[in-house]
Amino acid sequence: MGRNQTTWEQLGELPVRETLDSGLEVVVLPKSGLKKTYATYATHYGSIDSHFIRPDTGEQVDVPDGIAHFLEHKMYEKPEGRDVFERFAELGAYTNAYTEYTSTTFLFSATSEIPDCLDTLMRLVEEPHFTPENVEKEKGIIEQEIRMYLDMPGDRVRSNLMHALYQKNPVRLDIAGSVESIRTITPENLYVCYNTFYHPSNMVMFVAGDVEPGRIIDHVATVEKARHLAPSGRIGRIFPVEPAEVQKKRVEQIMPVAAPLWLMGYKDLTVGLTGADLLRHDIIRGMMWSLILGPASKLYNDLYQSGLISERFYAHYTSAATYGLSMLGGETPDPEKLEAVLLERLPQEPFKPEDLERLKKKEIGEFVSLFENLEDLAYAFNAFHFRGIDLALIPELLHRITVDDLEQARREHLKESARAVSVVLPPREGGAAHAATSH
Amino acid sequence: MTWSDETDRFLGSWKDGIGCYVYPTKRFKTVTIYAAWIRDLSPSDRALGALLPAVLKRGTQRWPNRVLMEQQLEGLYGASFRADVGKLGDKQLLSFHVSVVNGQFLPGRPDTVGQALDFLTEVLERPHLVGGSFPQDIVEQEKTLVKRQISALINDKGQYAFSRLIELVAEGQRFGLKKLGTAEEVDRVTAPGLVDFLGQVRDESPFVFVVVGDVDPHAIQNHVANRWSGAKKPLTTIEPYHGKHHNQTVVEAQDVRQGKLNLAYRTGLTGKDADYPALVMYSGVLGAFSHSKLFINVREKASLAYYAYSRIDPALALMIIGAGIEFQDYEAARGIIEEQVDAMRQGHISDEEMSFTLKGYINDILSEEDNPGQIIGRQLEHLLIGGGLSGPALIEALKAVSTDDVVRVAQQVELDTVYFLTAEGDGQHGA
Repeated sequence: MGRNQTTWEQLGELPVRETLDSGLEVVVLPKSGLKKTYATYATHYGSIDSHFIRPDTGEQVDVPDGIAHFLEHKMYEKPEGRDVFERFAELGAYTNAYTEYTSTTFLFSATSEIPDCLDTLMRLVEEPHFTPENVEKEKGIIEQEIRMYLDMPGDRVRSNLMHALYQKNPVRLDIAGSVESIRTITPENLYVCYNTFYHPSNMVMFVAGDVEPGRIIDHVATVEKARHLAPSGRIGRIFPVEPAEVQKKRVEQIMPVAAPLWLMGYKDLTVGLTGADLLRHDIIRGMMWSLILGPASKLYNDLYQSGLISERFYAHYTSAATYGLSMLGGETPDPEKLEAVLLERLPQEPFKPEDLERLKKKEIGEFVSLFENLEDLAYAFNAFHFRGIDLALIPELLHRITVDDLEQARREHLKESARAVSVVLPPREGGAAHAATSH
Repeated sequence: MTWSDETDRFLGSWKDGIGCYVYPTKRFKTVTIYAAWIRDLSPSDRALGALLPAVLKRGTQRWPNRVLMEQQLEGLYGASFRADVGKLGDKQLLSFHVSVVNGQFLPGRPDTVGQALDFLTEVLERPHLVGGSFPQDIVEQEKTLVKRQISALINDKGQYAFSRLIELVAEGQRFGLKKLGTAEEVDRVTAPGLVDFLGQVRDESPFVFVVVGDVDPHAIQNHVANRWSGAKKPLTTIEPYHGKHHNQTVVEAQDVRQGKLNLAYRTGLTGKDADYPALVMYSGVLGAFSHSKLFINVREKASLAYYAYSRIDPALALMIIGAGIEFQDYEAARGIIEEQVDAMRQGHISDEEMSFTLKGYINDILSEEDNPGQIIGRQLEHLLIGGGLSGPALIEALKAVSTDDVVRVAQQVELDTVYFLTAEGDGQHGA
């Protein structure tokens, strides 16, 4: 307990945080002058948490793929038959939710009636209502959502790459699951997941806007007190051991695209870090890619000038506690040539101290502008929170990164056995028009 | 960083074909600068218009190649820079956009805004030329990329179906033209042709310069007045749609997993019309929100779609309805959509629908103020429509709209064209 301001003063940002008796952590960032208040209520529970130990019974549970996303949809339905979208509409607020590999986030954005909006957000997350009828009905809607993604080449190329890179970790599966897997979801398994993961001690609420933090926290605390919840036990999350080798070196899919979409991934073999160690690990790998293949790099510009990539080409690193990976790619007329040039040059591009110093300026600039966009800020805050990271550490960690750190990361990370490639190809002229996947 | 009614609004005007608008505010940590030449979309030169921003971002006299330009931006604390071609109604916008962190929030308080202004000015005024022409290899590289962008339009099925619908509605009118042109038009572009085009654009195209952030408006206005001048063509507004298709229906097939149903309606109203706020309320009740009739009836009650929306085009006097559906549900989904449009005509509109819609718009309109990009986009839209309300004035106008006003507007909304993108083979439907 106890409210304290973090060391964010240098940034001109003064968040107030408090952990309530139920275990819920509430963080409020006052942003005077903004019209909008943006609030998220997020659980550390995503698509990869499909195998776990219930803290209440100690029982091991396996649930269908895609259930976290299904649960997110279903939270909007309430017993009175009037869903939460309507209640937010009545308040003139916008609401949405999204599910990722390791978290599920519910949000609102509003310009008035903030206490009522907070109450509605809490009701949204805290009152499950699943019946056989409403679960059946949702299957039609989610099936359409899944089919929409199946027509998106960018989504397919990523999904196929995850299937290729990983043999065991459920991060290899699509977040929404498959049309087949969601058909097996029942109200019973939704309740098991809800009761396990939507406990306040597994969640965080983040509010930013022109608000008075003390009032917001008192308001939330009053509502939470009435639930008479105490912190829950630790949730056992069971993840298979991921082998160092990839599942498949290469996956191809034919789709009606104009030019090939090419994506290469490196699975990170260093996992299990948290807090400042994980943040440093992330920053180093991210900067490694910016220097080798960012828009200001020689390699990027050579590829651009030779017509092998467009401005939409990207290379980045992403991680959570149980996985980490780099992805690089984009549209290209010649996937084989692009891959060959990259494999030859990625290990060789020099890291120069002056380039590193300039890149640090860019990173600092991006860090400062993060605080201007409440959506991005809340997203980053939640992602870091569930990994035990304090955002405010970024400038200090950035400052200490050296060229040697980057060289070491390159040696560790760019391993041939942990590399896979995914390609979406246009139909061959005169060939079959229908898509087929090779996995 | 508080709001001030004294400063937090646009100051500026058009003079001799140049518009300079500055929105001084302390609410943002970044400063956003937008500049554009505005052209009438035309098959004869739209490919040149698509290529010019692409070539200008490849090098300047001071930073003659991409690496040096990108390094300059990186050193400016990661300033973001885009040069691309946009489209609004029947206008082609050759757009340049820089956003930079205000130096007062950075170590040593560097003058990032001044440097960002210089960067943009250098791009517009001092391109890297060799022997008086853009380098041949750079022009060819950018031609290849634009052609690839043209053929990539089929990748996003929702966007593809939308643009096919607009083409069918326009049927030869300028607003149906694609902003990038065709591959053949791009092929015909030459390096000397682009230099001539740049001269022509500078001489005659209306030029707009917009800045949002904590800046001195007089300094910006002086910067613009010192560098850009001359009697250019006056800015003309976008021509709204007047055509009259009657329930034109077109079905096309591709290798897709989900059908895309899009419907275009004539509204007869643009952003500057007195009845426009009533049309905004109309579209809100019908399909702009998750409480709207389309979302409730197509998605929630019938489970026929993941998305179903309506949106109005304030420049073209059009409303578009879109939904992603199963192939075999075409008749059912179209039926439910047309029923909702009919229900609006017959006045089946509840007080609750009106009040939710009003509150939803108030939230949207106020939230716009937190986003520099949206503030700029809104200003541009007003300039090209020739008027229109925004901010508190629009909120007041929406509050004054009665259910009768909405019904009156509903009765002048007419179906023009329907486009359905379906699967090849078994999934296909006749219409």
